[in-house]
Amino acid sequence: MHTATLPPDEPATPALVHPDCVSALATPPAARGLASAVLGSVALSACGGGGGDAPAAAPAPAPAAAPGPTPAQAARFLAQASLSGTATETARVQAVGYSHWLNEQMALPRSSTHVEWLRSKGYDDVQYKNGVTGADHMLWRKLLASPDPLRQRVTLALSEIVVVSMVGIAGTAFRQFASAAFVDILEANAFGNWRTLLEQVSTSAAMGGYLSYRGGRKANPVSGSVPDENYARELMQLFSIGLVQLNPDGSARVGNTGQPLETYVQTDVSQLARVFTGWDQDTSVGTADTPDRVIRPMVQIASRHELGDKRMLGAVIPANTDGVQSLRLALDTLMAQSSVAPFISRQLIQRLVTSSPSPAYLARVAGVFNDNGSGVKGDLRAVLRAILLDAEARADRSAADAGFGKLREPLLRFVQWARSFGLSDAGDAWRIGDLSDPATRLGQSPLRAPSVFNFFRPGYVPATPALGGRTVPEFQITTESSVAGYLNFMQTCIGSGVGGLRADYAAWLPLVPDSAGLLAELNLVLAAGQLSAITLAALKTALDTVSTTTAAGVNNRLYAAITLVMASPEYLTLK
Amino acid sequence: MTSSASSASFTSPASRREFLKRAAALSGAGAAGPLALNLAAIGEAAAADATGYKALVCVFLYGGNDYANTVVPYDAASYNLYQAQRAAIALPRASLAGTVLNPATALAGGRQYALAPGLSGLVPIFNGGQMAVMLNIGTLVQPTSKAQYQAGSARLPPKLFSHNDQQSFWQSSSPEGATSGWGGRMGDLFAAANGNATFTCVSVSGRAVFLSGQAAVQYQVTANGSVPLAAIKAPLFGSAACTEALRAMVTAPRTHLFEAEHTRIMKRSIDADLQLTTALAGRTPLATVFPSANGLAAQLAMVARMIDARSSTGAKRQVFFVSIGGFDNHDGILTDHPVLMNQLGPALAAFHAATVEMGVAEHVTTFTGSDFGRTLTTDGDGSDHGWGSMHFVLGGAVRGRAFYGAAPVIANNGPDDVGQGRLLPAISVDQFGATLGRWFGANDSELATVMPDLANFSVRNLGFMA
Repeated sequence: MHTATLPPDEPATPALVHPDCVSALATPPAARGLASAVLGSVALSACGGGGGDAPAAAPAPAPAAAPGPTPAQAARFLAQASLSGTATETARVQAVGYSHWLNEQMALPRSSTHVEWLRSKGYDDVQYKNGVTGADHMLWRKLLASPDPLRQRVTLALSEIVVVSMVGIAGTAFRQFASAAFVDILEANAFGNWRTLLEQVSTSAAMGGYLSYRGGRKANPVSGSVPDENYARELMQLFSIGLVQLNPDGSARVGNTGQPLETYVQTDVSQLARVFTGWDQDTSVGTADTPDRVIRPMVQIASRHELGDKRMLGAVIPANTDGVQSLRLALDTLMAQSSVAPFISRQLIQRLVTSSPSPAYLARVAGVFNDNGSGVKGDLRAVLRAILLDAEARADRSAADAGFGKLREPLLRFVQWARSFGLSDAGDAWRIGDLSDPATRLGQSPLRAPSVFNFFRPGYVPATPALGGRTVPEFQITTESSVAGYLNFMQTCIGSGVGGLRADYAAWLPLVPDSAGLLAELNLVLAAGQLSAITLAALKTALDTVSTTTAAGVNNRLYAAITLVMASPEYLTLK
Repeated sequence: MTSSASSASFTSPASRREFLKRAAALSGAGAAGPLALNLAAIGEAAAADATGYKALVCVFLYGGNDYANTVVPYDAASYNLYQAQRAAIALPRASLAGTVLNPATALAGGRQYALAPGLSGLVPIFNGGQMAVMLNIGTLVQPTSKAQYQAGSARLPPKLFSHNDQQSFWQSSSPEGATSGWGGRMGDLFAAANGNATFTCVSVSGRAVFLSGQAAVQYQVTANGSVPLAAIKAPLFGSAACTEALRAMVTAPRTHLFEAEHTRIMKRSIDADLQLTTALAGRTPLATVFPSANGLAAQLAMVARMIDARSSTGAKRQVFFVSIGGFDNHDGILTDHPVLMNQLGPALAAFHAATVEMGVAEHVTTFTGSDFGRTLTTDGDGSDHGWGSMHFVLGGAVRGRAFYGAAPVIANNGPDDVGQGRLLPAISVDQFGATLGRWFGANDSELATVMPDLANFSVRNLGFMA
């Protein structure tokens, strides 16, 4: 029974307020008053620049429930569910509790879309037709400043499961707009339903170009050409059912011989490929020199669609079923497979909480994926609540849990830094580019995975025997080069900013003369309180040697402190 | 088909075989063998055989290379069959006239092959006897006939046609989730002979399971070398104390498993950077010009520099991994694939020239691998995921100017393919790797651990190495 481990639910709030926008009104803990109050105002101004669609409203009253989480507990929750854990944000979680905070976040209206922003900045000009100009900026803008961090965190997670990489959208003009429309689909469905998500993704011009079925045709017996199998294969292998039939707890179902049962065979791929014939961009609007046709869903060209029957996974799509209906039936068939719930749930848990969830944890979440309590399968709102409120996610970790948690993604570390220290762009241009070079930047940049297999695989197992065969995806991009590249890049960001944008450390400067106090606050804001006393003591000793008698000295001590915290293995691993 | 059965026999101390039995038992029991024991045993076992210098260089073509437009049927009869199966994406025969391969012994039935035009730089290497072509090589568990495939009576590599799993199987003989590959397992055998074990298995690409051993750890550098950590190269924001605190913090032992793993990587990064930077700085740049704007060439240039610095790093046996992506040519193959060939050919040719310049051509063997081959038939303007493929092996120790394996019948669902021209491999990666491993210095029992399915094959040496 999956709800047994969840805290009592709270009534959904009608509040349509951005927590960041109201959070300055929340009373921070007295001990953190100075930093909190000023940081709150930073968040408020960032909110104004981030979409500005928040109606003015009074903050929802916090329920007077059981004692709320401690600052460290709240910060840890935010490290899993959000993009930063400023004093203000942490205070909000403490005030309203985890469940209510999730409801608040899910109730926030979406801010302006990526497509709208690109248009507003003129990236629809024909001069940008043959590239991705603007795409990085639009993506960083929302990750760094959008006032709905849960939705942005989940959108990023989805973009690493249902992967499109902007430069690989083949044969497509205005790839920044194709990318924008694609991310908007992920964002719109972040708290929606997996089945709906799959349908919108499957008809997106971005995916059609990326996995090469846009323009695909039915078999031609004269030329011998057959439908492109690319999307059919990856839709099953990566976006829905995986390769091996799974029990709800993620273990493989085995056949009579003890061999894992495969979910599909080659004929299923060839048959499903017939569904993905006839799709092409909608040319009814705009021209070849406008982005309209890569924003709109693809349409069917009946003469290219395979009208014979399609038999996959034991189901039959009857002959003469049109392309649109064939797609719906195929997705219904995939969605009905029992492997979908554990296959997708496990990846979502990995993106948010822990790299190797226990079978019981996964089974609880998969149970919610299968049935949200109202008989609906694939309800991401319920799945996300189950992931983040599960006892395994919320229990305080002990030293005995030496394999729990995840390596923070480099991209999330950077985003956290920017949000924690108020990086903003008054001009709303966000000229931050591709950060995926591991030697000089992050080894990761949104919508720039090297392939549909993402930056790292959910099934990546580090070779080190001590890790006991655990899957730890983020270690796939953690190399001797990337660990140095990351830290070098962050050191530069911390001291000099990025893309011409600088952090605003004003609220932190009063803390700097007291190294211990500074470290305590950084530990909470950045590391969810997970830096050990030994580490803090060593860092204090070192920081105390940096004179703060000059403004430059104050800055240097602060920059060094942030760099040291963000270099710490205790920070890098979110327990 | 050319095939020979040279099998130089290496003898080795009994203790070495004993170790391998133990290592096999440990790996069978799970990944968590006592590392210290493994390392000690490897040291005691392998040092004796590592005389001279040898390197293996794996060039991986990510995405599944289209074999049919890489090694193209050229004799008129074969070309016509090829062209008929993929009219929309066939290379024009006239474009191949300059890259026809001239083997020492002609293939049976008048079969001829030409290389993709972009590989023209490899033709003189092949015709000069320092390159061989593997015909229809791929992942297999055991020798497999088409009848067995159809009847389901042969064990097959799991998850055929899946990119990530077949990449993994090619590199490790297991699907995704494998923790050691055959390059790393060769490294296990010889790491102790090296002055610094860190430089035994080196990737100038990203992480690849190919290079992970039971004990050997892959070390990753960029095409420009190692990445120095600024925070310890210079005082951190002016503070030497902070630099020292950082160094201590990021390298101190940890109890949490992921923290400990990160610390291992960071420590290796710092230590190896110091050694490698020094070693590379001591060398005069090579005269060989590597092509510019060619990522693969840049990676291979770094491999060449590391080989050149071998006396400084103390390396006797090294396994390198480089890669180039973009081979999943479902679309636009006539446009995209030639671009890739124009990267691959010049990069391999330049690297070979560099080994000649350094006087180590006989000591360095370079070979290609890929997820899988592709279909012979087309899906419109590309090809789809397949199985068997054609691959290259280059070096002064290669018995070149020859084909190994068997020229497949060119057909859709013919005797040598399982439909759409997806080739059923005639020779396995295990046989291929074992042939390389024997040259590298591994003996029979060692090869059995390096290539776990080798025991299923009666031919364990394909004969392409001197």
